[in-house]
Amino acid sequence: MRTLWKRLTALFSQRQRDRELSEEVEVHLEMRAAELRQQGLDPGAARAAARREFGGLEQMKEAYRDRRGVPWIEILAKDASYGLRGLRRNPAFTLAAVLSLALGIGANTAIFSFVNTLMLRMLPVEKPEQLVNLYRTGGWGKGYASYPLYLEFRKHTDLFTGVFGRSGADKVRFDAGHSNSVDYVQLEYVTGNYFDVLGVRPAIGRLFTDEDNRTPQAHPLVVLSYDFWRNRLALDPAVLGRVLSVDERLLTVIGVAAPGFHGVEVETHADLWAPAMMCRGEILQPGMHWLWIMARGRPDVPRSRVQAAANTIMQQFLMSVYGGQRESAFGKWALAQKIEVRDAGVGISMLRDAFGKPLTILMAAVGLVLLIACANVANLLIARGAARRREIAMRFSLGATRWRLVRQWLIESLLLALLGSVLGLAFAIWGERYMLLFLPPGAGERFEVAPDATVLGFTLGISILSAVLFGLAPALRATSLDPAAALKDGGARQPGRGARAGFRKALVVMQVALSVVLVAAAGLFAHSLAGLRSINPGFAAQNVATFSLDYPRAWKGADKQKHRDRLLEGLAALPGIASISYGAPGPYRGGSWSAEIRVPGSTRTAREGVEIDEQGVGPAYFETIGVRPLMGREFSQADLRATRKIAVVNEAFVREFLPGTQDPTGRILSFDDSKPEGGEPTYIVGLVRDILHEGLKTPAKSTVYVPYHAADITFDPTLLVRAQLPPAALLSAIRRELGQIDPEVALVEPRTLRERVDDSIFVDRMIATLSGFFGALALLLAAIGIYGVMAYSVTRRTAEIGLRIALGAAPAKIAWMVLRDGLLLIALGVAIGLPLSLAAGRISASLLYGVKPNDPSTFILTIAVLLGVGVLAALLPARRAAAVEPIEALRHE
Amino acid sequence: MSTRNAKPDVLQGTLDLMVLRTLEAMGPQHGFGLAKRIQQISAGALELNQGTLYPALLRLEQRGWISSSWGASDKNRRAKFYELTRTGRKQIARETDDWERTVALMDRFLRVAE
Repeated sequence: MRTLWKRLTALFSQRQRDRELSEEVEVHLEMRAAELRQQGLDPGAARAAARREFGGLEQMKEAYRDRRGVPWIEILAKDASYGLRGLRRNPAFTLAAVLSLALGIGANTAIFSFVNTLMLRMLPVEKPEQLVNLYRTGGWGKGYASYPLYLEFRKHTDLFTGVFGRSGADKVRFDAGHSNSVDYVQLEYVTGNYFDVLGVRPAIGRLFTDEDNRTPQAHPLVVLSYDFWRNRLALDPAVLGRVLSVDERLLTVIGVAAPGFHGVEVETHADLWAPAMMCRGEILQPGMHWLWIMARGRPDVPRSRVQAAANTIMQQFLMSVYGGQRESAFGKWALAQKIEVRDAGVGISMLRDAFGKPLTILMAAVGLVLLIACANVANLLIARGAARRREIAMRFSLGATRWRLVRQWLIESLLLALLGSVLGLAFAIWGERYMLLFLPPGAGERFEVAPDATVLGFTLGISILSAVLFGLAPALRATSLDPAAALKDGGARQPGRGARAGFRKALVVMQVALSVVLVAAAGLFAHSLAGLRSINPGFAAQNVATFSLDYPRAWKGADKQKHRDRLLEGLAALPGIASISYGAPGPYRGGSWSAEIRVPGSTRTAREGVEIDEQGVGPAYFETIGVRPLMGREFSQADLRATRKIAVVNEAFVREFLPGTQDPTGRILSFDDSKPEGGEPTYIVGLVRDILHEGLKTPAKSTVYVPYHAADITFDPTLLVRAQLPPAALLSAIRRELGQIDPEVALVEPRTLRERVDDSIFVDRMIATLSGFFGALALLLAAIGIYGVMAYSVTRRTAEIGLRIALGAAPAKIAWMVLRDGLLLIALGVAIGLPLSLAAGRISASLLYGVKPNDPSTFILTIAVLLGVGVLAALLPARRAAAVEPIEALRHE
Repeated sequence: MSTRNAKPDVLQGTLDLMVLRTLEAMGPQHGFGLAKRIQQISAGALELNQGTLYPALLRLEQRGWISSSWGASDKNRRAKFYELTRTGRKQIARETDDWERTVALMDRFLRVAE
């Protein structure tokens, strides 16, 4: 080791070392010459004699330099430049190999970047591996929990060294005092011990303590993220003590968090943090779920014990809150909530929950693609090895060891792999951008996927691994020859050709088998997506734009309604706009609103109220989304002023509450569920078909539509515009209109209804598209493999084929002979691949919608596609075989 | 392609031991002094190109058996002096053992052949 170090440092002080050596030699010669002069020689002769005795000066220096340098590095460099020359001489081979590898490595790098970002990268905090998320399941929503539950867990210092809570990072208004348009930042509410438990230190100023989080609405403080401080405030140190308008409240800056820290959520970064007590709403209610509870576990307490203890704590907590209602449906539902102790060292990610499994499956798929690519390159290398037999034999005869030649081959393989990975990285970056396009805009705020050190290490690792995979066998094969024989026959014939051809064929069989898996998977996912696409959502999504409005906090419901009415009036007057309305929650907004009702005369509600979905909609809502009422009518402008309560119901409602009824109009229901026959009546005025409001995979529930102004839905409606305008033109028209009415109201989340539908199945779209791409890639690579092996075998058998033709074999028969060989390989590959793909189908069953993992039509199609591609790939060599001229072939021999 | 490392050199091992032993006997010494001394001891039986000594010295130094520094010779000339290190001293014992074993072994073979 020390030797190596000395040699390496020597590399960098070359010139000085040379000077020292010259001086040393000069001293030596001078000393000897002086001796000889004393013995009576004249200076010239003495000098000459000293030189003679010393021996070859330059030889010595050369030997000295070799010794001084790092021979293996120099040899490596020589091998590499030799290899590069070889690759340049053979551009077709190099291109084919590098391209195959680049596609394989690029696909792996792209998918791995996502895996890395979502599943592997640790939070930049102290000992992130100790962090857990106390993830709530059951009841309302998932993940987040209530403030009282946080306080409960905080008591358990025997389990955790610290427990903290955080809201999600939400977009809120921000005003630094010098902008006219509405500006937004990501604000996250955190408990006082948040930074302390995470071990995040301030860059400047101070961070929160429990003292900053005592009383609701009494701590107007804010901590900035470093990025925000840099990007928006130019690292101004005078920011401490400054007052910022955040979410229309004035908060005083007390500090900036350490660089690199963006909060604990992977896909959504926080710009600002405020104390949890500053969050608006009923934050202290045990039924208000708004806080993600996280904790730092004690290293000595095993996870199983933490989970068991968390179960108990949760049960006791729920009993203390809902124990009195445990007999009611509501109480049972609330009491069924659980806490799941999850690892949180890699941060919280809702995208991971939705996307983790598909990513894992895609990772496996790209692994297979790379294997197929490696098999291709191995095949190319073997063919090349055959062509280079003479060169190899020559080098053997010149005394090179086998190890030396194998190493030379491996270095060439490594060069190919490295070239492939450089190109692959470019593919990967492009691929990542493409994949990000699938994500809905709401999936993350500043979610970025870019190759970091881990990803680059991964890419380098797989390229070296694949170099060994595809390089070693061909290297060993190419160098296992008898040099004398190889030199004699000029490398024209193959020694042990049975074994060699067998290996290449085995590679092709493997390629086909793996392609079957990928093509079958692609088929299943495509089938699943087609199934989703064929679902009728119940509305016509074409030409409908949707958007929401963000009003100043001070605005009341009436102010908003007034603004909405003006906007609708203004927009309706614009050319090209066919219809305009609004609804809450509206289609595909990822929300639902429920209410308990009684339906007089229905046995379903005779004993107790039943929960239904409620939608608050404006006039012409159904017209705007292209739905015609089956019976009765929808709401009109006149209904806005009516005092009588009215509703439109869907078919599911009729099936559930009024089975057998053709026309429910005129019937009544009641939102007052205290009495069996209900209280104040709501008159049903219309019936519409079932509309899938929550997503294609969520079946329609019994739904009651009421005029928005009469509903008690607390969130603002989504606006819907049906227009014959391109979305961009429509959007700018809306913005213009908004600006004229009131610049304080901002347009948020504009998206066409079609895009919203797409967003709701983005995982299915992405996995179907990518697996289709990887399947096609696998097919292409396998086709090249089949073609290569068949073409090679025809070349090798030219003489034999010539003889057969000379003896009277029909060209068609010859072609069939070759084709049959190819088909045999494919059949073998399919036979091996089918059970594998059935297993793969079972693994991905949970991602399939409306198609069984062993769907026969998909598998029959897969086999047909592979046979088709295989025949195409083998056809060219087969035709060439049939066209062999017997005389030529025999002369060649 | 290079084969420069492949040539085993019988002399190499012996030259190493000679240099180490000479340094042990004489103390710090410059290259010329070492060459002269080795030739004296071998009493002309060793045809040594003095130049080959220098790569050997570098090799020994890289292995940590000797160290070198620039100093003044007896004639007050700047020269590079070589000195045995502690591991070098241990190495002499080890190589002497090896060498004696080899000699004894060869000796036995030569007797059998008679």
